[in-house]
Amino acid sequence: MPQPCTVVIFGATGDLTHRKLIPALYNIAADGDLPSALTVVGFARREKTDEQFRQELGEAARKFSRQTVRDELWDNFAQSIFYHRSEFSDADGYKSLAERLQKIDAERGTRGNRLFYLAVAPDQFEEILHHIKQSGLNKTLAGSWARVVVEKPFGTDLPSAQKLNRTVSGTFAEKDTYRIDHFLGKETAQNIMVLRFANAIFEPLWNHRYIDHVQITASEPLGVEGRGPYYEGAGALRDMVQNHLLQLLCLTAMEPPTDLTADSVRDEKVKVIRSLRTMTGAEVAGNVIRGQYAVGAIGGKNVVAYREEERVNPKSVTETFVALRVLVDNWRWAGVPFYVRVGKRLPKSSTEIAVQFMSAPSVLFNKGAASLDQNVLVIRIQPDEGISLRMEAKIPGAAIRIEPVKMDFHYGTSFGKASPEAYERLLLDAMSGDATLFARRDEVETAWRFIDHIEDAWHKSEHPPALCFYPSGSWGPKEADELLQRDGRSWRRL
Amino acid sequence: MAEPTVTFSRGLPVEIGQIDRELKKLWEQAEGSSTRASLMNLAVYCDGETAMIQNTELISSFTADHACRSIVIAVEPASSANRVQAWISAHCHMSRAGEKQVCCEQISFLLEGSSKGVFPNILFSHLDSDLPLYLWWQSEFREPLEAQLRTWVDRLIFDSASWSGWREPFAFLNDSLKGSRLTLCDLNWTRTLYLRQALAQLFDDPVNLPYLDCVQKWNATYAPGFQLTALLFVGWLAAQLGWELVEAGKDLFVYKSASGQQVQGKLDQKEGAPISECVLACNDAVFRFARDPGSDFFHADFNLPDGCERHYLLPAGREEKIALLDQELMQGGKHRVYLKALLAAEPLFER
Repeated sequence: MPQPCTVVIFGATGDLTHRKLIPALYNIAADGDLPSALTVVGFARREKTDEQFRQELGEAARKFSRQTVRDELWDNFAQSIFYHRSEFSDADGYKSLAERLQKIDAERGTRGNRLFYLAVAPDQFEEILHHIKQSGLNKTLAGSWARVVVEKPFGTDLPSAQKLNRTVSGTFAEKDTYRIDHFLGKETAQNIMVLRFANAIFEPLWNHRYIDHVQITASEPLGVEGRGPYYEGAGALRDMVQNHLLQLLCLTAMEPPTDLTADSVRDEKVKVIRSLRTMTGAEVAGNVIRGQYAVGAIGGKNVVAYREEERVNPKSVTETFVALRVLVDNWRWAGVPFYVRVGKRLPKSSTEIAVQFMSAPSVLFNKGAASLDQNVLVIRIQPDEGISLRMEAKIPGAAIRIEPVKMDFHYGTSFGKASPEAYERLLLDAMSGDATLFARRDEVETAWRFIDHIEDAWHKSEHPPALCFYPSGSWGPKEADELLQRDGRSWRRL
Repeated sequence: MAEPTVTFSRGLPVEIGQIDRELKKLWEQAEGSSTRASLMNLAVYCDGETAMIQNTELISSFTADHACRSIVIAVEPASSANRVQAWISAHCHMSRAGEKQVCCEQISFLLEGSSKGVFPNILFSHLDSDLPLYLWWQSEFREPLEAQLRTWVDRLIFDSASWSGWREPFAFLNDSLKGSRLTLCDLNWTRTLYLRQALAQLFDDPVNLPYLDCVQKWNATYAPGFQLTALLFVGWLAAQLGWELVEAGKDLFVYKSASGQQVQGKLDQKEGAPISECVLACNDAVFRFARDPGSDFFHADFNLPDGCERHYLLPAGREEKIALLDQELMQGGKHRVYLKALLAAEPLFER
């Protein structure tokens, strides 16, 4: 169990606090994993009393919590929640926050431990961190700690990420900085290392000798859902690939760490990102497809094109779909392509890693034209967390007829206890000082270095690759299919 | 076949966006007492709500032997409503060991009015990932299969006996085959399976085999509504024996055999089994395969020139849709012989 502490949430009236952070904290409390002295202080601009704030959060918890909210428990938990009104730019607001935190330490026994959660847009980080430093909130007494949790996006390119990191490191040491990527908090993402390194059967096969290729997919039927202005400045590559999908790729491709400490694991992940073959100019055109959704149908309803969405430029060239062919230039993965795709307005909500093994030799059942499907190990990250293994089996009968079958493991039904939400795990880890599931500065910057080459080819080149359009509700543009067809492969049918 | 123990005939109405959640609930309620099983996706495209309910009944029986996720999509383009409705249901059967219920899920959709265009997305959204996709097309073939869908389908099942014409469906099939890996599974072809097997089996005998090369006359009798069945069968004979079409009349056909000999053929129509009789004649040898109305067997009578007479009783298969589908799915393979037969039969359709 973590030490008692105060979690200070900047942007406490925002969506993230209501939908994720408070329900997560409530669930941890309901599971009995929170220290009883834990205190939450919401910091935001709107005028509000503690009681009003608690009431709003109570409604949100009832709506978004994975467990049914029990009134008795909520009432008790709510007593540990406070609201601190201030402008982010108001130095006095931070001074009074410091006084209030000292008072809370004395009254509730939080021992001077602070977890600052920046649930705000990145352009506000600098101001908030500056005032935290000026008011001495980052300084700790002997035996206590102060940490900061930073939400993505960690910049929009390498220079902005470096600037952001400099800003954060000016107030908090790297060991006290927790860059959150909620994908890493999911059970299945955590299970990738267990699957690979705690089972003797997989690791010997986990290399270019036996693996044909890897597909990583993150698809969702949703469009931009009113986030047009944000998305216009980001696009799928920055919004999803730079962080979530590259993290999944790292966990899949990394070497075994020497131990399970945060830095050992993150060292191995950084090595993978450094090994990604850089693409420039024509290579980007040949290995990266960018798409944008056009009109189509989702769930039986017609939907508009991206360019017709609210607050989106009608001539926008922002990508809502990306498919990449990535090579990891190291001994283990020589010649094994990693195909990564992410998109909005696709038929299904699904995030998964599919490891496709090489075909059986062309003898016996695999002879001539009767090619068999490859074995596939699928690690489902969401929504139905689990693992499946596809293999070929003989259908009962006199004739030799072979069809693929699946062995399936579902987290949801295999264990009595429901998987905790990603934010639960990550908040607990941040409170406990375990940074294993958080991105380190060099991880973030190296990932941006890789992504920037692609962005530059798209936006700074004289002959940028064309933007491809796909009907909403389809599996992306035909050019993405062709990307794999050129290699004699095809995307998995999800 | 195990008896179904629980069946939801039409299913529980569900919101389209909630289908996965509702299916999950369905299984959670049944946890411990039943096992969900699926080896394939069986998607059925049909016309109208009545067909949807008929298919639900059919799938209930089908799932006793073929564990699958079934997705029934019924379209009613003429409807004034413009909406999509969905239902979920489960078909459960006792396992062969008799200890546990094995259940398969079905999702049904009714696409009314112009919502028919949402078909590919509805299908893509509800497939059980990683499993083969068998698409049973029970409607007329009008437009080509949507390009992405074409690459996803493993087997396209249809019944050419139900075609009102042949030009459009053939164009559709030709188009669907381009750049795809799909296998055409014509239930009308499956309908001829037992007759083809009977012929092949009896001519496997070295005594009978030489007569095949010198067939001079043949005739076949088909039931009303099964002319295409008969033409496919004739196409098969021609393709397998290397006959070349010389002339095709309304019911009379002239071929040239591989040895240059003329082969005359005739088709007759008569109530009964889809193909109730087939006779091949060669130098006083006559080979007759006949199926009596309602019979599950072919009677094969061979009269050879030396006065030798032989009689065989061979299985003729069943005619119900479900039996044809079952036979079809047990075949596997790419159906290359079918494609050859289709090619040989095409000029007969054009006559």
